[in-house]
Amino acid sequence: MKLALPRMGNIEVVYDTLITDMGHELIEPPPTSKRTLDLGVRYAPEYCCLPLKIVLGNFIEALELGAEGLIMAGGWGPCRFGYYAQVQRDVLLDLGYKFKMIIVEIPRGNWKTFRENANLLRNGKSWFYMISQYRLAWQKILLMERLEQKVLVVRPREKTRGAASLAFKEGISKIRKAKDLDALKKIEQETLEIFNDITDLQKKNLIRVALVGEFYISLEPFSNFHLEEKLGYLGVEVVRKNSIEAWIGPIVKLKIFKDSFKEEKDIEEAAYPYIAHSVGGEGQITVGNVVLAHEEGLDGAIQVIPFTCMPEVVAETILKKVSEDLNIPTLTLIYDEQTGEEGFNTRLEAFIDLLKKRRKKAVELS
Amino acid sequence: MSKKRIGIPYALYFYEYYPLWKDFLTRLGAEVVLSKPTNKNILDLGIRSALSEVCLPVKVFYGHVLSLTEQVDYILIPRMVCIERGSFFCPKIIGLPDMVKASLDLETLSPIISPLIDVRKPYGTWQSSLFQVGKLVTENTRALSRAFTDSWENFQKNYVAHILDPEILKPGPFEPSDRRAREKLDIQHPVLNIAVIGHDYLFKDSFINLNLREKLQNMKVRVLTPEMVHPALIKKQLKKLFKPIFWSPSQKVVGAAFYYFENKVDGIIHLTSFECGEDSMVGELIHHQSRNYPNTSYTEFVFDEHTGEAGINTRIEAFLDMIIRRKRYEISLTPYG
Repeated sequence: MKLALPRMGNIEVVYDTLITDMGHELIEPPPTSKRTLDLGVRYAPEYCCLPLKIVLGNFIEALELGAEGLIMAGGWGPCRFGYYAQVQRDVLLDLGYKFKMIIVEIPRGNWKTFRENANLLRNGKSWFYMISQYRLAWQKILLMERLEQKVLVVRPREKTRGAASLAFKEGISKIRKAKDLDALKKIEQETLEIFNDITDLQKKNLIRVALVGEFYISLEPFSNFHLEEKLGYLGVEVVRKNSIEAWIGPIVKLKIFKDSFKEEKDIEEAAYPYIAHSVGGEGQITVGNVVLAHEEGLDGAIQVIPFTCMPEVVAETILKKVSEDLNIPTLTLIYDEQTGEEGFNTRLEAFIDLLKKRRKKAVELS
Repeated sequence: MSKKRIGIPYALYFYEYYPLWKDFLTRLGAEVVLSKPTNKNILDLGIRSALSEVCLPVKVFYGHVLSLTEQVDYILIPRMVCIERGSFFCPKIIGLPDMVKASLDLETLSPIISPLIDVRKPYGTWQSSLFQVGKLVTENTRALSRAFTDSWENFQKNYVAHILDPEILKPGPFEPSDRRAREKLDIQHPVLNIAVIGHDYLFKDSFINLNLREKLQNMKVRVLTPEMVHPALIKKQLKKLFKPIFWSPSQKVVGAAFYYFENKVDGIIHLTSFECGEDSMVGELIHHQSRNYPNTSYTEFVFDEHTGEAGINTRIEAFLDMIIRRKRYEISLTPYG
């Protein structure tokens, strides 16, 4: 079957492992572009959040290339994300496409569909093979995220501009081709060596900023106007708090092992005085991470939100109070389908200038 | 000892659950102060204190909370999470007490009590959260449980089981006594069954929806609401969905919309508010379903903080005119094509 997975950040590293190696034909959606966004915006409901629109654009582009099955993650609320697949399916059916929507989610009583989907993805291969492939894919994601975190540290310290991004991209394309765990280990070593070579150790005491907020926007550079790169080139070390590991990890590791929840628990506890209950999505996590960022001594936090996001609007409201109470500067960037970057650049630069001045003042006072 | 005054902001979920809380607290001997129906002043208060990204109903809620200042000893803002396994309220409602605490000046407000309602947890059932509030009024456990049993029964009997009168969907029982008027009416303006679908806090708040119900009724429209559909029928309709909806308030909206589609009402108006996350998704589901029923017209009204009525008047008139014109056109065709 010709299958397509939507894009998000560097998720393409698992395309081959999960689709081609399982004997399916991979239809790779073209890299997210202005056209993707335009298609999504044209057909999606007006007040839906941006990720739905971009992913819908991915799907339309994949269907144009002949995809027969679309793989999408699901969920059970209360964030709208859990309902994306249903709405996207409706929109695409209305547009006259013929396809099968394969929703990967925790089955709630609906084991029949779950088994069907699993069998479809398994494609006649053995269960053992399938599980080992998924484990490989998971390791790939973990490695990808380790490199992503590393490149955020290296980028503001690089000797020549652009070297870190280049090395990172190379690493990603190698991960994509890797066939086993040993290869992944080798890639990690190699890439880290390159990173070491290009790092200028003279640069110390950089401004450090936490990147919090909605999951997709913070992971997908197209949607956030390459925020991480921009901050890196402004000489800022970004600490990105969202990751696929933190999202899927607890599910993969099963809830039996309490240790795997430790980080999540810390975040919840940090958020507790301000928001006492999870509100779905990353609402509570965002607040918790900003409190933790303050405890870790970071200079500020940037929250990214798609316009109309429900949990993040709750978080934004509460962040104002957190920022006042803890005296940590926060900047909220709201993304919609407009693609004028200059406004964002100005706001970012102003925010970073503010952080630099604050630090200078703190040094003078001490 | 004077009576404890407990304030209830008349907005959001309280349109549904106010009777229960009031009944329970009055039985215990507390005084329940309900904020006034939404007016310009309340709306302005809310808009001023909320972030611009927050949705309209929550802004209105802020206004109601502020309007209760200095009138009450406590303000009741329950944290509604889950009233039925597998479905939730929207994130903004779950986080409502925190949002209110974060953005309003707590020193001038009366203390906020926010019992948790999450029926999946033993400490989040209706009983325990009502008790939690009731304990502010009386320590007497027997009085508490008696008040709970009575008010819960009352609530179930009078407010939950709204059963649709089957007569209501039969076509054309509207009969003026004057024969001439009747003829005129039949041709020019048949009685229309229009279902107005939307959250209670939009449909019942006539300030926010700009008197929609009255306007429709003045135009000789029979207004049908989601409440007229029996919960069991709603459940049945929801089985049509590819995936169950996990927001309790929207379940009612979608189920009722599907029910009215199936029962061939003349038109369905879906009320939504600006920035409402649930409605943006749910609206698409209803829209998608509407294509299967070409004889039922469907439209969507979005409400925001503007209070100009002309726009909504035009849209109502246009919607009704369209339906009437089509009906007339259908009548003038012979059944044989």
